[in-house]
Amino acid sequence: MIQLKRLFKPVKNMDSQEAKAFIEKHKEGTFAILDVRQPGEYEKAHIPGSKLLPLPQLRDAADELDPEHPTVVY
Amino acid sequence: MLSGLGFKEVYNLKGGMMAWDGLQASGPQELNMDLVRGDESPAEMVRLSYSLENGLQRFYGNIQKRMKIEAIENLFMKLAQIEENHKKRLRDLYGTIEPSGQDLESLGSDAGEGKMEGGFNIEAFTQQNEPFLDTPHRVIDLAMMLETQALDLYLRFSQKTENKDTKAVLFKLADEEKAHLALLGDWLEKKTAA
Repeated sequence: MIQLKRLFKPVKNMDSQEAKAFIEKHKEGTFAILDVRQPGEYEKAHIPGSKLLPLPQLRDAADELDPEHPTVVY
Repeated sequence: MLSGLGFKEVYNLKGGMMAWDGLQASGPQELNMDLVRGDESPAEMVRLSYSLENGLQRFYGNIQKRMKIEAIENLFMKLAQIEENHKKRLRDLYGTIEPSGQDLESLGSDAGEGKMEGGFNIEAFTQQNEPFLDTPHRVIDLAMMLETQALDLYLRFSQKTENKDTKAVLFKLADEEKAHLALLGDWLEKKTAA
């Protein structure tokens, strides 16, 4: 039950302007942008440098990301 | 979900990709990833990048020669000059990695042969795009698209590479592309305002 509560802990929102400012301010390699959509959506358009990890695979593949790095998700 | 998995700082992009009004790359995750194996040394990665920069400079130079509109010809000349500056920074970087190494210009990269920034084939890309490069606005748009794809490609390379020092080189290259994009964005704004 505690695990379930932790899984759905609320996260902060960022609008497009804030996300752009965040990306501009941080050096590459110090943060991650995570695309949790399907590959077809990623193919049409994605934020440069996004890591594609579709939502159904996220839990199993999350170790491909560094939990210490700030992560912007879309 | 990420917070529950131990991620310390997670932000949700409000409105997702539909609301995003910044730079956009396109193509599948595997696009041009055949240019790298994943075990490249930092020096190899700089050589590949140099080769791709060279390719883009050649692309700009070739089109510039055929342009009949002076404003566009000048723009291509400026774009080629930016690539020259970028190449100089790569030569400096290579000198710090391989202090006694050969001149970067003479080394080349087999993987990057015939390719330009973003990993595109120079000849095919020229054929597809040259007919549309008839206004300064379109030329800057194309340059921004190429730099965005290059930024995306370097960061996808970084996801594939295991070598920490090669990753650091790729992050540096990506930061350079971001600076280059900011400059092109200023140009575009000035052209739009004019």
